[in-house]
Amino acid sequence: MKHLRSFVAWHTVAPPLVFLAMVFVVGVINPNYLGPFGISIVGATAAPILLVAVGQAMVLNIGSIDLSNAAISMLGAILMAILVPQIGLPGILGVLALMTVIGAINGAVLAYTQVPSFALTLGTLGILQTAALVISDSQTIYLSENRELVTVFFNTNIAFIPLTFWIGVVVAVAYWALLRFTILGQNMTAVGKNERGAILSAVPHRGVKTISFAISGFTGAIAGLCIVAQAGSASASGIGSNLLLPGIAAALVGGTSISGGLTNPLNVIFGALTVAFVPIAIQALGFSAQAQSLVYGIFIILVVALTTTRTRGLVIK
Amino acid sequence: MTSAIPPVLKLTNISRTFGKTKAVSNVSLTIQRGEVIGLTGENGAGKSTLLKILAGIERPDEGQMEINGKLANFRSPNDAFRAGVGVVHQEQSLFTNLSIAENIAYQKGSRTGLNRFGIKNWSQINADAAAVLDKIGFRIDPRARVGDLSFVDRQMVEIARAVCVEPGENDTPLIILDEPTAVLEQAEVAVLEREILKLRKFASVIFVSHRLDEVLRICDRVVVMRHGQVTTDRSTDGVTKQDLFKAMVDDAPVEVSRNRRALSANAKPAIEVRGLTLEGKFRNFSFAAYPGRITALVGTNGSGRGSLVRAMFGAEKHDSGTILVDGREVSNWSIRKAVAAGLAFVPAERKVEGMIGGFAGTRNIALVHQRGAMAGPVLHPRKMAAIAQTWFDRLDVNPNNIHQPLDQFSGGNQQKVVLSKWLNSPNLKVLMLDHPLRGLDVGVSQSVNAQIRQACQNGTAVVLIPDTIEEALDLADEILVMRDGEISARHDLSDVGGLAIKEIVSEMV
Repeated sequence: MKHLRSFVAWHTVAPPLVFLAMVFVVGVINPNYLGPFGISIVGATAAPILLVAVGQAMVLNIGSIDLSNAAISMLGAILMAILVPQIGLPGILGVLALMTVIGAINGAVLAYTQVPSFALTLGTLGILQTAALVISDSQTIYLSENRELVTVFFNTNIAFIPLTFWIGVVVAVAYWALLRFTILGQNMTAVGKNERGAILSAVPHRGVKTISFAISGFTGAIAGLCIVAQAGSASASGIGSNLLLPGIAAALVGGTSISGGLTNPLNVIFGALTVAFVPIAIQALGFSAQAQSLVYGIFIILVVALTTTRTRGLVIK
Repeated sequence: MTSAIPPVLKLTNISRTFGKTKAVSNVSLTIQRGEVIGLTGENGAGKSTLLKILAGIERPDEGQMEINGKLANFRSPNDAFRAGVGVVHQEQSLFTNLSIAENIAYQKGSRTGLNRFGIKNWSQINADAAAVLDKIGFRIDPRARVGDLSFVDRQMVEIARAVCVEPGENDTPLIILDEPTAVLEQAEVAVLEREILKLRKFASVIFVSHRLDEVLRICDRVVVMRHGQVTTDRSTDGVTKQDLFKAMVDDAPVEVSRNRRALSANAKPAIEVRGLTLEGKFRNFSFAAYPGRITALVGTNGSGRGSLVRAMFGAEKHDSGTILVDGREVSNWSIRKAVAAGLAFVPAERKVEGMIGGFAGTRNIALVHQRGAMAGPVLHPRKMAAIAQTWFDRLDVNPNNIHQPLDQFSGGNQQKVVLSKWLNSPNLKVLMLDHPLRGLDVGVSQSVNAQIRQACQNGTAVVLIPDTIEEALDLADEILVMRDGEISARHDLSDVGGLAIKEIVSEMV
């Protein structure tokens, strides 16, 4: 590890340290919040945020952004709530595949038409939200049949934490390995760091973009599964309808660079835990309900300032 | 009385040093009212630095500069502008979505044409612009959008902006035109020449160009620079192009550091282009590069050689003509196909195109060819590191740290890693290099050249765009001279004894 400069090392460990420090402070001031029940709540809240965030991190890593991935989760949850009672497991797999394709379309349109990803996915976001409203008829859709097939992911606990969170961890580890050990992952990071250089090194940049967005869609659909598993129902305005910004925040708190080329999905796990834990910590520290959004905002700014990697601006000659 | 009118520009012993290189060394130069001076010299002769000093972008280390008899000590381009020095830079810098009048108004200052509430006074903006355009004799509606103009008209707008300088009451402006004709077609050049001659009625002009015909046609006096010094400063009367070459180029014989390889009769080209054309860049270009031989493309910056090599690598599309790799015609040519066919390209813009600065040496080298770095379907970090270490050792990269991000290395060591990336190919057929030695010092240059020769010896065909003619003479087996997108001469060095640099320069311009 000699080659890691001290500041690089700090930013590698900052996301877990920030989370642990927060847990420590809450534990000292108000230990009641850290019982098995508290841990379970944090894990449950963090699960969909984590999934949306690692998908977002993969897209941020190629220098783009996916504003539609939380809407993909929502639509995926609604479709699962409709399909699973009728056809069971194939419903889950079909929705995962469909959402992956929607993500891939996002990426392909970006790669071939060069519409900036911010504008493109803003458009997709609107389309998918409308689709979710129309398909659900603005109603909450309950799992009438085959309920256990989905809720088992939430009701099974490992170390007090629901399985949904552990699915997020497995996905994050898989993406970490993808970036570190595969040519595809190396190409993704190369595109994020210097797209022109990557193109002139024969990196298939269009394919890389398409796959990155497909990954974001796929992960978004798993987040949708977590939402249905937790609620036993899905609606366009219910639980999980507000994942976009926490997802981006978690990716950034996890040390992902918003300008591309830098992410560590393992740290995004701690980013998601932090983002999920902040509201609980605010409560535990005794802030009034009205002040919550304010403190949340300030806290996120502070944490991102602590965890963002700034190696890009530092040229050492 | 001549003493009453001071010269427009008087430089006395101006010097500027960058690191160890003296870019401009002891330059003295005087320009009188209404004179048109031609400034010429090879790339790197110090012209650009001298212009930057005049334009207030660089400051001289030594020497004294007087404009219209007043001592000038420019701290910014704005100072130069106010003193009466207007520059038309090589790259156009107009706002294409604004009108001519707005472009001219912005040059004068961001508040020009605004009333005290910050609201635009259009009639004044347009009237001011019309006056300036009238002054240089350019008839055009100042309300026209710059983006709709032809290139030569835009160049005229650039000149109009430069003419807006504000020298004192009785002072003469100095207009500097930095290679204004480099990208123009012949007919457009004629138009521009006529316009430049109009400027002399009220200004002095410095005209920078590689095209010696133009310099001799337009200018009253010609100044030639070499190695930062002025080698010739004389009237253009009776001067020939040959005289100017002599002043531009070193005549020391070039030492040849490798044995030229003659072309054997049955050699098959590794890559060949036939009638390759890209409008505005190169026309009807045909040549072949053979295994084990180095072909150098020599020409000025605007000669189209950079675009040609990029087109061969699939990085630019060509309009017509064919590319043959290993004797087979290619279709839908792309960078990916080119690399799969064994082509490699070291671009001139190293930091932007040649490498991924945020990646360490390991990843940069493993980016194109993963030979030996894989364990099944995955990249094996230790194997990647071993490969990178081999190349770092072979090319003596300094610092010898394969895990350090490449943008923390010096340019020369970055270039070594860029080369390694391509040399790591299991099947390197064609190595194309665009200005591989740009910005490198002598030691690194030698080791880069050694790698190029080594690759050549291993049977790779090399296509080289050198920085200097000396570099071409040192390395190449064959030299193709390019002028205005076409081949103006071919020299097979394996059967020519000594080829004079002067001869090549005369074919370039």
